[in-house]
Amino acid sequence: MLMCRGLAEIASDYIDGELNGRQNLSVKLHLMMCRHCRTFVGNLRTSIHLMKAHSSAHPDADVLRRIDARVTEALSAKKSGKSNDE
Amino acid sequence: MDKAVHTESEAALIDDLKRGDSLAYRKAVRDYSPAMLSVARFYLDHSSAEEIVQDCWVTVIDAIQKFEGRSGLKTWLHRIVANRCKNTLRSSNREVATDFSESLEPELANRFNSTGRWDLPPKLKFHESADTLMEKGALSDCLDKHLSALPESQRSALMLYEAHQHKSEDVCNILDISASNLRVLLHRARQRIFLMVETFQESGEC
Repeated sequence: MLMCRGLAEIASDYIDGELNGRQNLSVKLHLMMCRHCRTFVGNLRTSIHLMKAHSSAHPDADVLRRIDARVTEALSAKKSGKSNDE
Repeated sequence: MDKAVHTESEAALIDDLKRGDSLAYRKAVRDYSPAMLSVARFYLDHSSAEEIVQDCWVTVIDAIQKFEGRSGLKTWLHRIVANRCKNTLRSSNREVATDFSESLEPELANRFNSTGRWDLPPKLKFHESADTLMEKGALSDCLDKHLSALPESQRSALMLYEAHQHKSEDVCNILDISASNLRVLLHRARQRIFLMVETFQESGEC
């Protein structure tokens, strides 16, 4: 029988639809009977949405500026190389 | 293999990159580098990761001419970064050490009793929607702090799968991990975010 700890271990797989039919059914049955696990799965789901909604996962502007500068330099070198060949 | 379906804007960007258009490169660097850095940081420290991403872009200037569109541009770029990182690790005889053995975060595992039932169940429902919660600036700052404190392996998996919406199969290829190990990384990272939001909701503290 699936216990709360066992459910917590596979909660992400349940949310992402990665469980097989039998596992999925046992999670659903457990959730019908256990409000703590219903809260846990609901909260985990909200946490995932929260993470997705959080768009500030970008690195700092300095890192992007340095990458940009290097690419601009390489592009100019390539272009001037080409025009020298012509 | 069939060609990947590119959006109109991606197809136009690829054409511009092939022409060496500097504005197109600027846009591509801004749009694609954050995820490329996530890939590189899975394998290497921050400074080496940045260097690898810079080198990859320089490679892309020539390599884009041979890009046939079998995969999306994003996946293609991520594979270039991953391959370069793997070569760097190989040449220095290093490897990525990650613990895939436990699927529960210790802080959560300790909340069950010996029979596997909750000892310390979640007290509050996160009633508000994710969007409403995000409007609270303090929570957003807290999320930033916790995301940057995640182990690199977890953060890379989370970023590629959730934020950059790669398919599991692509994430496994790029990070060179099995499907079951990807599931462990994702689940551990999500639990940490869950624990962070729970603390924030209960105490208002990060």
